Amino acid sequence: MTTTSTAGRGTGRPGPRVSPSRGLVERLRPLLMVLASVGVFVLLWQFLSTFVLNPYMIPPPTAVAAAFVPMAETGEIFKHVTVSLVRVVIGFVLGSALAIVVGVVMGRMRVVYELLDPIIEFLRYLSPTAMIPIAVIWFGIGENSKYFLIFWGTFFFVLINTVAGVMRTPVARQRAAQCLGASEFQIFIFVVIPSAVPYIVTGMRVAMASSFMSIIPAEMLAADSGLGYLLQTAGMLVQTDRIFVALATISLLGFITDRLFRLLVDRTLSRYMAFVAAN
Amino acid sequence: MLKVERVTKVYGEQEASYLALEDIAIDIADGEFLCLLGPSGCGKTTLLNILAGFESVTRGRVTLDGRDIRGPGQDRVMFFQDAGSALFPWLTVEENVVFGLKLRGTPVRERGAIIDRYLAMVELDTHRGKFPTQLSGGMRQRLQIARALAIEPQILLMDEPFAALDALTRRRMHSFLVDIWQQTQKTIVFVTHDISESILLADRIAIMGVGPGSRFEDVIRVDLPRPRDPGDPAFGEIYRRIERQLALEESKLGDGV
Ligand SMILES: Nc1ncnc2c1ncn2[C@@H]1O[C@H](COP(=O)(O)OP(=O)(O)OP(=O)(O)O)[C@@H](O)[C@H]1O
Ligand SMILES: [Mg+2]
Repeated sequence: MTTTSTAGRGTGRPGPRVSPSRGLVERLRPLLMVLASVGVFVLLWQFLSTFVLNPYMIPPPTAVAAAFVPMAETGEIFKHVTVSLVRVVIGFVLGSALAIVVGVVMGRMRVVYELLDPIIEFLRYLSPTAMIPIAVIWFGIGENSKYFLIFWGTFFFVLINTVAGVMRTPVARQRAAQCLGASEFQIFIFVVIPSAVPYIVTGMRVAMASSFMSIIPAEMLAADSGLGYLLQTAGMLVQTDRIFVALATISLLGFITDRLFRLLVDRTLSRYMAFVAAN
Repeated sequence: MLKVERVTKVYGEQEASYLALEDIAIDIADGEFLCLLGPSGCGKTTLLNILAGFESVTRGRVTLDGRDIRGPGQDRVMFFQDAGSALFPWLTVEENVVFGLKLRGTPVRERGAIIDRYLAMVELDTHRGKFPTQLSGGMRQRLQIARALAIEPQILLMDEPFAALDALTRRRMHSFLVDIWQQTQKTIVFVTHDISESILLADRIAIMGVGPGSRFEDVIRVDLPRPRDPGDPAFGEIYRRIERQLALEESKLGDGV
């Protein structure tokens, strides 16, 4: 990560300024390019699915849209989206919260680190998918097993990043605070934790993306609602158009959530996100 | 008075140990500007860390006004070469200065005047809302100076603070530092491996030998009036004397002693 400064509102930092002399086209260029990229892709897909490939295997965009309309009218798709989203958010918040608490302690106290690190190194190779059978036995098929699986996936990403962030707090910064009269505890709260924020946020972003990946198999194997369940039932009935609706929704949901998370970070934590390069 | 009495510093244990300093002794008077000069790895930072209280001594004693130094204190402030990592990047220029005042318990209504005074002294008063990322290297060093001076320490310990700056900025920083030193009468211990820098700034220059077991090879008093001129023949004479001493140290390195 080499972010230098993030323009923040209310922090007195100047945002990137676009000179008025630059043309409208130049300013809209990024958006236009995205639209062009998506447009070309959709058109190509439509063409290939209709004339080259088997439209049953890969339904063209028009067929996917046609399948989407009734799902939206009955509210079916939104129900599944909400269910999956709530599961992800709850598991993610719980996982992040515990990981941050454990992570700062581990990063700061050597004994705790030495005791916990081997176990974490061992457990982190167990993906949420691998944990599905035991989660169902422990927590049943209801919501709790989903919360647990998302929690499991989130916890290790955030933990490892938090520990790294705490440990990489520059010694010079801690010593400077010490010279200014800070106690060990004050250094921890006012210097170490703020210094670790960029690492923690990075860990959370990665964990968020992975949560959207792990909720799907969890819902496919053990649920009666959610996007994974939708995918699973459509698959069993060989409804490729509905499968594509589900796949597109999953992508879109992950993308939107990541953008919202970044916006939230920009609004609240931007001053902590700056890395100061050496002179 | 900062007294260093026969200080020896050994890093590590037994076979893996390294004798960094051996029998270092010097008395640093109040208000004195002392430069520590020596080849890389000779133990300048080690000695400064001992003075700051970040490192303990293996043998010997360090006292400030008769009291043993046991750890860091607000009477001594360390300046780091890398101001970028020493500053708090999430705080503005002004908030960086406030940090120390808060810890010191300075009442809120007195803080404004102190901040104004020290930010003006380092010419950062028009940049108080900026973040460290938005400052140049020289500005960051000046902010480090303002932040430290604001808590009114007796002693400034500076570890090659200007080494990474360009020649012009460095010259400006030198006159800044001398001005501030003359205004505030602080004791300054300044580490450098730049001979000219040491002659430009110091009352006395302590030249350290190569390690292991590095000690002061020579302590030179510089009696030239300030501001000093590198073109002055007396300046050149001191320069050559130090250079000879350092060349001697180099040759010891070459012999593998
Ligand atoms: N924490 C440590 N553990 C072991 N050895 C150390 C430690 N810190 C420094 N040393 C050794 O002590 C010697 C002196 O190091 P020091 O950093 O004080 O040198 P210096 O004079 O500041 O060098 P430079 O001009 O390159 O900054 C070096 O040989 C170094 O390897
Ligand atoms: Mg050094």
